[in-house]
Amino acid sequence: MTGTLLVNNLAGLMIVTSMMVIAARKPTVSAGLYALQSLVLVGIFLSLASLFDAHELYMWSISSFITKVVLVPLIMYRAFRKMADPNADGGVISTALLMMIAAAIVLVSYFATAPVALPMLADLKPVLAVSLGHFLIGLLCIVSQRNILKQVFGYCLMENGAHLTLALLAYKAPELVEIGIATDAIFAVVIMALMARRIYRTMNTLDVQKLISLKG
Amino acid sequence: MDTFMLFLILLAIPLLTALVAFTCRWVGASRPVLTAVHTIGSTLLLLMSLYGVWAVYQQGELLAGHNWLHLDSLSSLFLAILGVIGFITGIYSIGYMNHELEEGEVSLKSLGTYYGFFHLFLFTMLLVITSNNLILMWAAIEATTLSSAFLVGLYGQQSSLEAAWKYIIICTVGVAFGLYGTVLVYANAANVMPNPGDAIFWSEVLKHANLLDSSLMHLAFIFILIGFGTKTGLFPMHAWLPDAHSEAPSPTSALLSAVLLNCALLVIIRYAILISAAIGPEFPQRLLLVFGLLSVAVAAFLILVQRDMKRLLAYSSVENMGLIAVALGIGGPLGIFAAMLHTLNHSLGKTLLFCGSGNVLLKYGTRDMNAVKGLLRVAPLSGALLAGGALALGGMPPFNLFLSEFMTVTAGIRGGYLWLVIVLLVLLTIVLAGLVRMIVMSVLGKQPDNVSKGELGWLTTAPLAVLMVLMVLMGTHIPQPVQQLLKQATTIVLNGDQAGIDELHALELPGAATEDSTTAAATSSHSAAQEMYRD
Repeated sequence: MTGTLLVNNLAGLMIVTSMMVIAARKPTVSAGLYALQSLVLVGIFLSLASLFDAHELYMWSISSFITKVVLVPLIMYRAFRKMADPNADGGVISTALLMMIAAAIVLVSYFATAPVALPMLADLKPVLAVSLGHFLIGLLCIVSQRNILKQVFGYCLMENGAHLTLALLAYKAPELVEIGIATDAIFAVVIMALMARRIYRTMNTLDVQKLISLKG
Repeated sequence: MDTFMLFLILLAIPLLTALVAFTCRWVGASRPVLTAVHTIGSTLLLLMSLYGVWAVYQQGELLAGHNWLHLDSLSSLFLAILGVIGFITGIYSIGYMNHELEEGEVSLKSLGTYYGFFHLFLFTMLLVITSNNLILMWAAIEATTLSSAFLVGLYGQQSSLEAAWKYIIICTVGVAFGLYGTVLVYANAANVMPNPGDAIFWSEVLKHANLLDSSLMHLAFIFILIGFGTKTGLFPMHAWLPDAHSEAPSPTSALLSAVLLNCALLVIIRYAILISAAIGPEFPQRLLLVFGLLSVAVAAFLILVQRDMKRLLAYSSVENMGLIAVALGIGGPLGIFAAMLHTLNHSLGKTLLFCGSGNVLLKYGTRDMNAVKGLLRVAPLSGALLAGGALALGGMPPFNLFLSEFMTVTAGIRGGYLWLVIVLLVLLTIVLAGLVRMIVMSVLGKQPDNVSKGELGWLTTAPLAVLMVLMVLMGTHIPQPVQQLLKQATTIVLNGDQAGIDELHALELPGAATEDSTTAAATSSHSAAQEMYRD
């Protein structure tokens, strides 16, 4: 029982860290917080591995550590520190409102996952709800932030949420699946960072509200 | 040829071409070298795709690489589209990009980048079509975004960069929903299938679809439709599409609209088959119907008010994808067949129009329909082809899109969706009005003084002429092998519904035969449709 308690608590911590990623003003700080969140995710993988006695999940923890805790935050930190646009920092809604929306999302996710009937999930239902909620909080990050670099974090949060669901429901998945998803995420972050840099150089802004010449 | 070799060569051609093109760019190769690499790559891909389609036609379903790669009649239809459209846009690209290079719009380095990403983009789409692995299918869709984002932003102007950013963010986020849906299906299958290792393969999960959890599959289909629907351009997730299609170089716009949207659609169809087998077809069909009809409705009104020619065509893509979704939502052998036929027809028509709009852009230097006048006088052949293509896209006989739209309407009436069909016909009339408005504004009228007379060369007109011939052919007499391919693709989607398959084989095509074999109700709707087309 302590195993499931640990997993459920760590899942709660995922939500807390993702709120910190969103609330941080500077993208470089968010990169560090994202690394912290990924570390929590690796912690969940490890606890699940011992809980289910799943060898594959130990392998996942290692590859996730390399890609999510080290590589992706490092790429983001190095790419983002050269770009700064103080006008674009902050969100379109206040942090307090952001928290309330996030809470509502988690609540909705809890009810959405309630009818799912899989035997292994009896004690881990809250984690499933958190993983779905986490995915949607990533979306919240993208729509609520003005800085285009913060939108990249939104994608990363969504990806972490999907990853947690995968670990929870399909811990027997071959290692290749996990590597495939992780590699794809790295490429996505690299391409987004390159594109953001081209935008920054051409338009000298990171503010999504300045990117409005196309409409209709 | 060994099946695995077939897949290997098929996938290797665009990937190697891309690598060679990037290498040429890096060592600073000249334009003729780059063009030669691109031409060889495009031609080989066409030949190999058609060979692949032929192999499926002869041998049926192909599986290789420990079930990772898969080609059945459904995907070979999409493979045929990829091969043909890839080749035609490839040839058109040469004329178009050479012109842009001479005008100084792009540098020689950008040309290398363009050809490199062009083939990389084809490779990722090929991976979507041939993948049997659910996670790989998702990863390949994601990769199509990443490989085409630079094509969209190629010109490096503010507006094109903005379009590229919107494209990459909206599509990655959308496709993340697709990942969530994929994970739900895979995880559920892994829990209930006798051999969990097989749960990742579409063809294996389909055999055990009845074991899947009902509430999870409902949830999964919502995620799948939102996710891959973003990439297909369904309302309300279509926001990236008009920007990306209008800002990209014209041959890329054609490739995005005629091949990429289909690839995402193929993934939706794959999941619709799977989830229909698990929870019955009602839920997936209802969702497809709602999203499809909304897409047609919103796009129809936006087509009517556009000033930018390429944005207008982009909204027409939203409309046509919506129409295909509606046909799938109506379902049954006739509805699904109409969807398959329309997918093929739309790809031909939209490639013609985007390439035609490319000629307009080269000639006039703008896409603004208030400035583009008298194309028929400036470049008579391009003008006539563009006008013919626009009428075809609006659903005028004797072109191919009329046939598939008519079949959708017939399927709707047979399925008891009378009100839906009436709404649909009104919307299609609005679309036709929008396209006729484009012809009147840009193709007809007086020639401006500052534009020189004359065509741009055979490389930019011949592809259009070839497409026009194909469209008339598909509208008047569908070749027997194509009919077979479409029917077999429909059979896959019907997934063992024997009554439906029998009905499908009784279906007679095209033109006159179709009209004879349909019911009296359908015939009356035909005349109603004719009346609407006349205004």
